[in-house]
Amino acid sequence: MNASTVRGKSTAVQILVVTLAKITGLVKIPLRTNSGRIGLVIIAVYSITVIFGPWLTPYIPTEYDLDHRFESPSLSHLFGTDHNGRDVLSRVIAGARSIIWISVIGTAMGIFLGTIIGITSGYLGGWFDQIAMRAMDFLLSFPSLLLALLLITIGLQRTALDESWLIIAVIGIAFTPNNSRVIRSAALTIKPLEFVENARLRGEPLYHIVLKEILPNIIPVIGVEASLRLSFALLLTASLGFLGLGVQPPQPDWGLMVNESRSHLALAPWASLAPAFAMGTLVIGVNLFADGIRQSLQLPEDRGQK
Amino acid sequence: MNKEPLLKVEKLSVTFFTPRGTVIAVREASFEVSRGEVLGIVGESGCGKSTAAFAVMGYLPTTAEVGGSISFEGRDISTLSKEDLRELRGNRIAMVYQDPTTSLNPSMKIGLQVKEVISEHLNLDQIDTDNKVVELFESVGLADADQVGDRYPHELSGGMQQRVMIAMALACDPDLLIMDEPTTGLDVTTEATILDLVASLKERVNAGILYVTHNLGVMARVADRVAVMYAGQTVEQSNVKDLYANPKHPYTSGLLSCVPKPPGDGEISSRLKRIPGFVYSSQESDVSSCLFAERCPLADSECTTSAPAVEFFDQNSQVRCIHSDKVEPETWGGVDERISRKDVATPTVLTGHGITHQYGKRRKKYMAFGPDMDLPVRALNKIDFEMPQGKTLGIVGESGSGKSTLARAVVGLIKVQDGSLQLNGNELEKTVENRSNEDKSAIQMVFQNPTASLNPKLKIKKTLIRSLMRFSKLTKQGSEERAAALMEEVGLDPSYLERLPSELSGGEQQRVAIAGAFATNPEIVVADEAVSALDVSVQAQVLGLLEDRQQELGNSYLFITHDLGVVRYVSDEIMVVYAGHIAEYGPSEAVLSSPSHPYTEALLSAAPIPDPTAKPNPLRLEGAVPTMREEFTGCFFASRCPRKLGSICDTEAPPVQKISADDNHVINCHIPFADLTKIQT
Amino acid sequence: MGLDRHPVERYAVWIKNAVQGDLGMAARGGASINSMVKSRLPNSALLAAVAFIIAVPTSLLGGVLAGTRPDTKLDRILSIGSLLAISIPEFIIGVILMMVFATKLGWFPSSSILLPGETILGSPKILVLPTLTITGALFAYILRMARANVIEVMESNYVRTAILKGLSMRRVVFKHVLPNAMIPTITVIANNVGWMFGGIIVVEFVFAYPGIGSLLIMAIDTRDMRMLQSTALVIAAIYAFANLAADLLYGLLNPRVRVGQ
Repeated sequence: MNASTVRGKSTAVQILVVTLAKITGLVKIPLRTNSGRIGLVIIAVYSITVIFGPWLTPYIPTEYDLDHRFESPSLSHLFGTDHNGRDVLSRVIAGARSIIWISVIGTAMGIFLGTIIGITSGYLGGWFDQIAMRAMDFLLSFPSLLLALLLITIGLQRTALDESWLIIAVIGIAFTPNNSRVIRSAALTIKPLEFVENARLRGEPLYHIVLKEILPNIIPVIGVEASLRLSFALLLTASLGFLGLGVQPPQPDWGLMVNESRSHLALAPWASLAPAFAMGTLVIGVNLFADGIRQSLQLPEDRGQK
Repeated sequence: MNKEPLLKVEKLSVTFFTPRGTVIAVREASFEVSRGEVLGIVGESGCGKSTAAFAVMGYLPTTAEVGGSISFEGRDISTLSKEDLRELRGNRIAMVYQDPTTSLNPSMKIGLQVKEVISEHLNLDQIDTDNKVVELFESVGLADADQVGDRYPHELSGGMQQRVMIAMALACDPDLLIMDEPTTGLDVTTEATILDLVASLKERVNAGILYVTHNLGVMARVADRVAVMYAGQTVEQSNVKDLYANPKHPYTSGLLSCVPKPPGDGEISSRLKRIPGFVYSSQESDVSSCLFAERCPLADSECTTSAPAVEFFDQNSQVRCIHSDKVEPETWGGVDERISRKDVATPTVLTGHGITHQYGKRRKKYMAFGPDMDLPVRALNKIDFEMPQGKTLGIVGESGSGKSTLARAVVGLIKVQDGSLQLNGNELEKTVENRSNEDKSAIQMVFQNPTASLNPKLKIKKTLIRSLMRFSKLTKQGSEERAAALMEEVGLDPSYLERLPSELSGGEQQRVAIAGAFATNPEIVVADEAVSALDVSVQAQVLGLLEDRQQELGNSYLFITHDLGVVRYVSDEIMVVYAGHIAEYGPSEAVLSSPSHPYTEALLSAAPIPDPTAKPNPLRLEGAVPTMREEFTGCFFASRCPRKLGSICDTEAPPVQKISADDNHVINCHIPFADLTKIQT
Repeated sequence: MGLDRHPVERYAVWIKNAVQGDLGMAARGGASINSMVKSRLPNSALLAAVAFIIAVPTSLLGGVLAGTRPDTKLDRILSIGSLLAISIPEFIIGVILMMVFATKLGWFPSSSILLPGETILGSPKILVLPTLTITGALFAYILRMARANVIEVMESNYVRTAILKGLSMRRVVFKHVLPNAMIPTITVIANNVGWMFGGIIVVEFVFAYPGIGSLLIMAIDTRDMRMLQSTALVIAAIYAFANLAADLLYGLLNPRVRVGQ
């Protein structure tokens, strides 16, 4: 092993350590408040559920057991069973996976696009800004659920993508305009500051100014925006599932579970309530996390649109 | 005078308990205000003067703990019920605040804002109330007093807004008027008119006035007695003339000797005195020493081991210092001679010719049609200048005069529409992005706000090293060594390199910014209000540092400031700008003495002088700098000129008058300079 | 029907007719889309209007109450309650309301299906649960915004001025805090009109309410693209109109916009 690979390895380790330190540093911000702490605990519980889900389900989530339909919660079925005798707990755990993955990837996409468009547009200004913002205005002129319904219906007919990928794409597209607006206005508050001008006078290239001078200073804004959008994404994904445009059966989907069981409300309320409860807790956790960042950095309430 | 004073504050202390720790804003402040007098409280930022003022109003956050006593006409404010306190506020005790723009309700007409105080506290009928509002507006010198009440705050200039605030405060003929930095943030010309108004109040109303300011010039103009505050303590009190003539506390003496004085004839022969160090931390709770000891030239072991008691000299004079008998003019050092550069001719490094810039574009209401919505702002209009090597060109003017635009044009942060810049005879590209590395390194800048000029997320080392590696072609190690050396040159420990900007004080941050500017070995450093945001004692340190750097390295400064004292102190040559035009240009002494352009004259006469015996010059400018959207048909200054000749000023652009054959002194004015000399003496 | 023509051409014709007010025929049943929209739009408008009329004043009041007394018990309750409400999707609120008030208590019908000849106003009971569902979420969102804006304005210098003028707290709140806190809140309400449209689609589906939202879902289920386009167009047009109205209202409230600055 020669010296350069050793150095290569140690740099990689260094980068890893620094990145980890930065992430823990960021996580510390919401932890200064109670809301942030509770939010983080809830998010952690759901993250474990998503990662270890397949090993946590007591039954096979898709397996029918017509002898045990509408069973009320008991030790063998903690959340009871549904109209097909499936174990509700197993279905809730399995359902967490799809909704969270879809929402997280979709939000990440929206944040990524929004950050790029927002920062560039804010820093460069001029015609790029004009065109980008008009395009965003156009997308904003549709309510996001309507946009989602249209794009998914058209997407199912015209493309080979399945519902999950379409929802991810829809979340990404529908949330980009708001993200880029919020991030653009954050970038605009940083742009006229003297240290950015100082960097120009030092002859720094564009990528340095955008990535090292502006971006680090709007990370908290992006953090709040991301968690807020994540909560909207979860709500949107669940609503689409409820309307039958989400993950297709037999895969369990929280929204669809509520929809399927609502005709048996009198008989087996748990089959609707369990996914509803899981959904509510998760979104509350994400919202508390966002509140935590906001409170400890004293950022104003998001005035954006849902 | 055994009469009970109007306001008696005794051993006031205010502590804030915040999530980030305990802040002791006021430690021990005692002062009195009687009817008919103005007590000034002066001190640097963070010394607790505004907190003390708000404590008198009974207005502090609920997290504050207040000690000592505040009694108004013998009643302790802290024992009053909510209703009684409300009865006092706005009625018996009224307040005027620092920032009129944010202190007025933006969505309510100003007439109504004044009216509601009257209806709250006085029993007047509708008509009398309306008349009283008009009367009040008249008494504070607002034009169109009967119409102005229908306007919204944003339709008024800052000076007019502050007049509205004063009218509101006077509405119920208060017994005590508290003014908290009422002119800070206003232009010096507006400040002067507001100070005139305050001075006239003294005669008109039978109230006591508590006037809070950090500005020694303003204090000298308005106060009868002065209390000096340092680190939350009142350290000296005396009547204003004694205080300025014979300060008894070393801090007062230091403050007075580090303010550059605005007018006066001749060259400044001595360098400014410097008070070392920074204001005592408000987080420290230990008070077993004199809080000023660590910065004091007279401090001895006794000062650091026991807190000094307040020593009373007579009714009106007290000091918190055990060495007050030793304070003398030489306390902060004797005359530190400056080398005169007046007669040393040096080559020109930078020439600007015909620099013209407009902000914004002409816009019509409906795309290309309809009436004009926005006309461009003509920020700079054919500005010519020459910067001599190793010297300082000062630029003064009110806000909105175009001086910062010129600074940004020189460094290339904006792309000017017209004109040329030449560095040592070679044409410079307009924007910094297009300039060569040599040109970039030759011109650097120091900004006004030190906190904003450093990236809060980057260690100081990082910023310095990047520019060293790029411009000085040093290796990483070499630039680290050079960065350490730079820090020492600006008087900071090299260990600061590892810190983030937020861990430094404002003065230290500005030193780092200066180190950054000098990292490229620039020929020209543009300083845009570089000392304006700093406290007086820190300002003197930074001015001294800039002066040292110039002496060692021979660079030139383009020094932009609104402060005539500072510009007089630093400049070899001065350009006076108004509405994007040069009003007057020439050697420093010549510009600041007669004959002057009427605008220079007005600026000089408005500048507050830190000397209570100085007679204020009555020449004043009304209004504000015009919006500069229309082209001037005559003289750019005609709309506000106190010496306007007549119609020629409105119809013809003023000629350039060369004053003497020996130097470059020019005045752009219709009045022949012989006449100017006559009317100005 | 012109099925032999190119889809793009068919789309162009549809657009042309739509602009002239003719949305075409539904794919099944042979009814004209115009008449379907016409019969269902008033129902949706009624639902939205009732929800809006209930939610806006109450949520503003709640926001002001909480914002002027930050960190009191009332503020805590309202803040936590509204956090819960914005964290739960409308369909869950709807299903829970249905479970409690329709299935368990039987006070209101669980579905809002109208028999031929019936109108909403003739049987107002079916309006209650859908309205309540929309109101809940809208209430929470506006309350949070109003509260945040009130707190921000309470900390402003001009409110300090008003307090130190010796004005009564009532006057400070009504004359100084409210007008300024309402300006940004109106923007939020305006933005929410769009989101409320989304909410209405879901809620109409939950309760089988005969509005334009359930028409849209029906179009999706039956893959009737023309109906989907039509309902989407109508919703988007109303949304654009609502945004315009909000902009005008904003201008009316804010003197700085009024003079054209």
